[in-house]
Amino acid sequence: MKAKVKVKAEKMSRAELIAKLKRYKFLYLLLLPAVVYTFIFCYVTMGGLVMAFQDYDIIGGIFESPFVGLKNFITVFSTPKMLHAIKNTLVYSSVGLFLGTPFPIMLALLLNELKLRRFKKITQTISYMPHFLSWISVVGMLSTFFATYGTYNDLMAKMFGDSYERVNILMDAKYFLPVIFWSGIWKSIGWNSIIYLAAISGIDQAMYEAATVDGCSRFKQVFYITLPSIMPTIIIIFIMATGGLVNLNFEQVYGFQNLYTQEETEVINTLIYRMGIQNGQYSLSTAFGFAQSFVSFLIVFTSNIIVKKLSGTGIW
Amino acid sequence: MKKTTGEKIFDVFNVILMIALSITMLYPYINQIAISLNDGMDTILGGITVYPRKFTWVNYRTIFTSDSISRAFFLTVFIAVAHTLTSLFVTTAAAYTMSKKDLPFKNAITWFLIIPMYISGGIIPTFILYRYLGLLNNVLVYIIPGAFSFYNMIIIRTFIKGLPASLEESAMLDGANEAIVLFKIILPLSMPVIATVALWLAVGAWNSWTATLYYVNERSLYTLQYVVMQLIKQSDVLQQLAAETALTGGEMTKEAQTTSESVKAAAIIFSTIPIVLTYPFLQKYFVKGVTIGAVKD
Repeated sequence: MKAKVKVKAEKMSRAELIAKLKRYKFLYLLLLPAVVYTFIFCYVTMGGLVMAFQDYDIIGGIFESPFVGLKNFITVFSTPKMLHAIKNTLVYSSVGLFLGTPFPIMLALLLNELKLRRFKKITQTISYMPHFLSWISVVGMLSTFFATYGTYNDLMAKMFGDSYERVNILMDAKYFLPVIFWSGIWKSIGWNSIIYLAAISGIDQAMYEAATVDGCSRFKQVFYITLPSIMPTIIIIFIMATGGLVNLNFEQVYGFQNLYTQEETEVINTLIYRMGIQNGQYSLSTAFGFAQSFVSFLIVFTSNIIVKKLSGTGIW
Repeated sequence: MKKTTGEKIFDVFNVILMIALSITMLYPYINQIAISLNDGMDTILGGITVYPRKFTWVNYRTIFTSDSISRAFFLTVFIAVAHTLTSLFVTTAAAYTMSKKDLPFKNAITWFLIIPMYISGGIIPTFILYRYLGLLNNVLVYIIPGAFSFYNMIIIRTFIKGLPASLEESAMLDGANEAIVLFKIILPLSMPVIATVALWLAVGAWNSWTATLYYVNERSLYTLQYVVMQLIKQSDVLQQLAAETALTGGEMTKEAQTTSESVKAAAIIFSTIPIVLTYPFLQKYFVKGVTIGAVKD
């Protein structure tokens, strides 16, 4: 008897499901473009990763190119040019991550201390401006700024007098790291401070009132209330940013490179572009990109575990 | 409440620091405006700061009469509009469906759509795929890729979910079907979030130039930022040549160099001014994106 009821219930739900599917056919139709798009542009390209294990040739395509195992990966990690690009990527991005993270936090703390509402709003708006410009416009503006007879050299000449020798720092690879670092700060400091300001505005005001009553100064309040309260936000942003350790902004690096600096400053992304799209070394650059995203995922995963152990906050 | 001396000093210092920050943010742009409005031969003498020394419109005239720039401008306007509309259609349609609580197979669909956020094939497989699809040297390469964004879908879906369910129920009782509910009720009410996402898409399309670099060789399909990129790189090359010829004691044809530097400045200002003039009024829509995304985490 019981079994019979159960079967009946199941049948009912199946019939119900079919009825629902019929009733929702318009909704599924609405979803169709997104599903088709995702299948073609995301899943089919994921399948293209097979090329990393092949000796891809255009005529044979993915289905007839011979498999070569890990040969391409071995080449990636034994070619000096590619190792150099890996080293550059790690150096540029770890400097950006470890030294760059405090800047927007400091800006948020300082903005929060501003008492004049209107002045604060205007400063914030101005600080967002570079975020809305494309990297290439920023590169163009800074190349004017740092030109041999541009503002930067004029200022330096004023400061150090006639003995100062004018240099265009954009044409010398040894300045590439500071250029990438500071231009990155300049472009993103205002925008990245938004998230911290939002976190600060969520702090319970009663804590500050209590601290003031207890005679705690404003400086101490920053260190004992504000910073600890926004720590979870800082940690989450940091973990998500660690994935970028092997993935520099292509537009920024490519933009700042020129004939003088390119060879010295090649990073993974720019080298993949040059090898893959310009020279047609498809399999090798796919393997390079594959290794890059794999490592990126591993880094986020591990740093999430480490940070979670240390502080109890994580993204998963 | 009384302020201590230390706090007063800090407040003054803080205001000065913020003014210095604002100047640092604005100066390169204002400098660029000044150069774009200054006589090219005069600019080469150096020393242009925040105002043009020898005022001229000639650099802008060069930009406006240049075939490649005006073509790129109209193409970029078209791309920004077409991409924004396509993406809004695909993303909003999906968001409406995904806002239904009792949609069969909803979990499986979510997984299907979310996985590509974490794994991607990378640029070379994408390039090969586009070649198979005939997207290389095709204007559609600017419009179709990015037509669906999971992140934007979540933003719109969250908004739709927040609308009062009673509106939809009573309409259904009155005999409206899903299509009527969507077009007559949900879409008009969701305009704030749709406008927000539209702005993100439009600015993204306007600023994009790597798609041209990767997938397009045909001159008639260059986007505005790509043409600006070429001018910048070209002006850099000319500067380097000038530096080299100066080293060897030769004289660089001054005209070539000046024009390139001034025209570059005019092109940068021309291509960015629509955004720079509007973002202060639209910024709240952009800021929303940052904070909604954070809440989701």
